[in-house]
Amino acid sequence: MNNLEYLFAANVFVWGGIFYYLFRIKKYQQSLQNDLDLIKEAIKKGLQK
Amino acid sequence: MSDETKESGPLLIWFTAVAFLIGMAAIFIYAPTEQMEGAVQRIMYFHIPAAWLAFFSFFIVFISSILFLWKKEREWDIYALASAEIGVIFCSLVLITGPLWARPIWGAWWVWDARLTSTLILWLIYVSYLMLRYQTDVGSMRARFAAVLGIVGFLDIPFIHFSVLWWRTFHPPPKMISPEGLGAGMDPSMVTTLMLSLGAFTLLYFVFMGQRIKVEKMRDEVERLKKDYLYTN
Repeated sequence: MNNLEYLFAANVFVWGGIFYYLFRIKKYQQSLQNDLDLIKEAIKKGLQK
Repeated sequence: MSDETKESGPLLIWFTAVAFLIGMAAIFIYAPTEQMEGAVQRIMYFHIPAAWLAFFSFFIVFISSILFLWKKEREWDIYALASAEIGVIFCSLVLITGPLWARPIWGAWWVWDARLTSTLILWLIYVSYLMLRYQTDVGSMRARFAAVLGIVGFLDIPFIHFSVLWWRTFHPPPKMISPEGLGAGMDPSMVTTLMLSLGAFTLLYFVFMGQRIKVEKMRDEVERLKKDYLYTN
């Protein structure tokens, strides 16, 4: 009795879940960094006026 | 962020990656194949650490929520949110890997026994917590409601742990922490493999926490700048 397909599926879900979460955090971080850069740029322009 | 934290981040990530490589080698090469269950028993080396991390994450939510309600400091609120998110990820993995083991062993994906049902309830509580959190503005009343939910939700965990001892359940009793001793009745190489896997998963928790806290602080910074400079001008 081996049922390797269940072990394989468990691995896919575990690693998929871990990398999905890491990817999501990185994507969110990137979008926040873009927002931060835009705001800082806008503030800089506002201060120059 | 201090220079110390900046330097420790990548180091922790590398350390975690190495720990996982060692853990995977132990799971697939070093640990013997269980005689009764076969290769599918190796799912336990993912299932048990995922359950441990889910419980640990929700314990951090519990502590952070108490401290948030007491001290009203945003820092604790961030820790609670980050840990709840990680807890839900790992609790989901518990609810996925469990049935994948159960199907060939029990002949059923799911049974409504005390351990499984109470774990599903725990997952639902913290999914509700996150749903509440995602609609919450920083410092609002809803953050406090979420903190209360984070505290109340944790009360389900002792119930989950003892459910297999209080009732007759399909779920096997605890193997690692049993009245006979730590890892009693298990092959020593299986105990070592499980410990390695637990260690790697625990390191992963701290990697996730570090990244998630960093992101939440960035979000606060964006909100603060918007409020102070953009909305006021």
